[in-house]
Amino acid sequence: MRQKIDQEVSVVMYYSARKKMALPHLISWQNKEYRVGEIGYHHKFREGRTLFHIYELTDSEHSLWFRMKLNTDNLHWIVEAISDGYGD
Amino acid sequence: MDMEISKKEALTMHVDLNSCFAIIEQQANPLIRNKPVVIAAYDTPRGMIIASSYEAKALGLALGLSVADARKIYPGVIVMMPDPEKYFDANRRFSKVLNKYTNNVVAKSVDEFAIDFEGSPAIRAGMTMEEIGMKIKEDVKKELGSYVTINVGIAPNRFLAKLAAGLNKPDGMDRIDHANLREILSGLSLIDLPGINYRYQARLNLNGIYTPLQFLDSDLDKLKKQVFGGIVGYYWYLRLRGYPIDQIDFGRKTIGQQYALGQRTMDINEISKLVMKLSEKVGRRLRSANLTAGGIYITLGFEGYKFFGHRQKTKERIFATQQIHFSAMKVIRLIDISSKVTNISVTVYDLKDLKYRQISLFNSFEADLYSIADASDEVNNRYGEFTLTPALMANMQDVIIKRVAFGKIE
Repeated sequence: MRQKIDQEVSVVMYYSARKKMALPHLISWQNKEYRVGEIGYHHKFREGRTLFHIYELTDSEHSLWFRMKLNTDNLHWIVEAISDGYGD
Repeated sequence: MDMEISKKEALTMHVDLNSCFAIIEQQANPLIRNKPVVIAAYDTPRGMIIASSYEAKALGLALGLSVADARKIYPGVIVMMPDPEKYFDANRRFSKVLNKYTNNVVAKSVDEFAIDFEGSPAIRAGMTMEEIGMKIKEDVKKELGSYVTINVGIAPNRFLAKLAAGLNKPDGMDRIDHANLREILSGLSLIDLPGINYRYQARLNLNGIYTPLQFLDSDLDKLKKQVFGGIVGYYWYLRLRGYPIDQIDFGRKTIGQQYALGQRTMDINEISKLVMKLSEKVGRRLRSANLTAGGIYITLGFEGYKFFGHRQKTKERIFATQQIHFSAMKVIRLIDISSKVTNISVTVYDLKDLKYRQISLFNSFEADLYSIADASDEVNNRYGEFTLTPALMANMQDVIIKRVAFGKIE
């Protein structure tokens, strides 16, 4: 089931000079830490002049999917939605 | 005299993303891969399905079905709302891959492209069309993700290339040329041909044409004088024989926005508010393309599948949101709204480049409109859509959300 969340969340992100990519690595949400597994899709868009990055990813156990939004103006992260991969 | 089938080299390619929106969602969320996923305009029971994954299609969850009906067929179906920004991004990446091989790439819609490889560097380097097709498939996986697959069709013209791309979905690659055209057509029905809908099929049947082969073998006179009338019949005659009749691209002719009402209404004030938001969206697109319009076309859908459409030329050329809204409401006020409205669309036509701004000597209001439109666009460009809106649109931020058009992209 997919659930809308829209909450600020703590994220550890790292930059890989080899891959030339910045990627979220660890998500701390609701007193639980999730290591990032597969990043399914990453895209960017602007709302006015603010650039947002959207990362859609699973935890390393492939049990939960997160839609994460990074606001590049203030570098705050929001978890927008989660899903366990099943229908409603 | 009968014209023979074109022996021109097959250098036109049609590529389309398989089940575009659904497969992009499955790429983005690995937990829903290989599962029935539908994208619906709204995820409420009355929302209509606009895209289905292959797994959903196999269950009969087809386009146009409501979410409620889909859940009756398969209660575990995963229903999602569209994510236009993500699909635009996928379209850009898809386009980037294709432009590596040639600049003769034409976007036919958000998920399909026609490419002309004649004289391209890849062909000059000695690659075959099939080798280029395989390379594009690999590159799409690198750019969009490993779950994303495409169909590739190769032919001497766009029509046959599109037909070839649809032969072996998903992840297919097929060629149609003079050597196998008859054999391929013999295995298809009329409705399998791109551009032949049920109405055209009925028209062909009325003239004794029941199969694509009979269509191919029909003489030009019959197609021109009996079946289609005039030039359309001539185009079909050439198209079926592999001649490049669809390579001409016409410029943008209309800009429109449509909205299916979540809460159906007969209240003219409510309708006016929705029309204002549609007008703002149309106006923004019109102005960003530096165009003005000379007419407006309104459609209203009513409960009971009734439909009303009316077009009207405008006195002056229009470009500002207020002008579009005013013209639209002028048309709507002529309509007898005796049942609840389910659907509204606002389209402007007769588009021309805004080369200069002609301001009436006796109407300073027009000069004000230019200034208001410019100022409002500048604020919205900087701070996001609908930051500054006409008063009529107050508290409507989440009504009429961004949508992806299925039609041709210019």
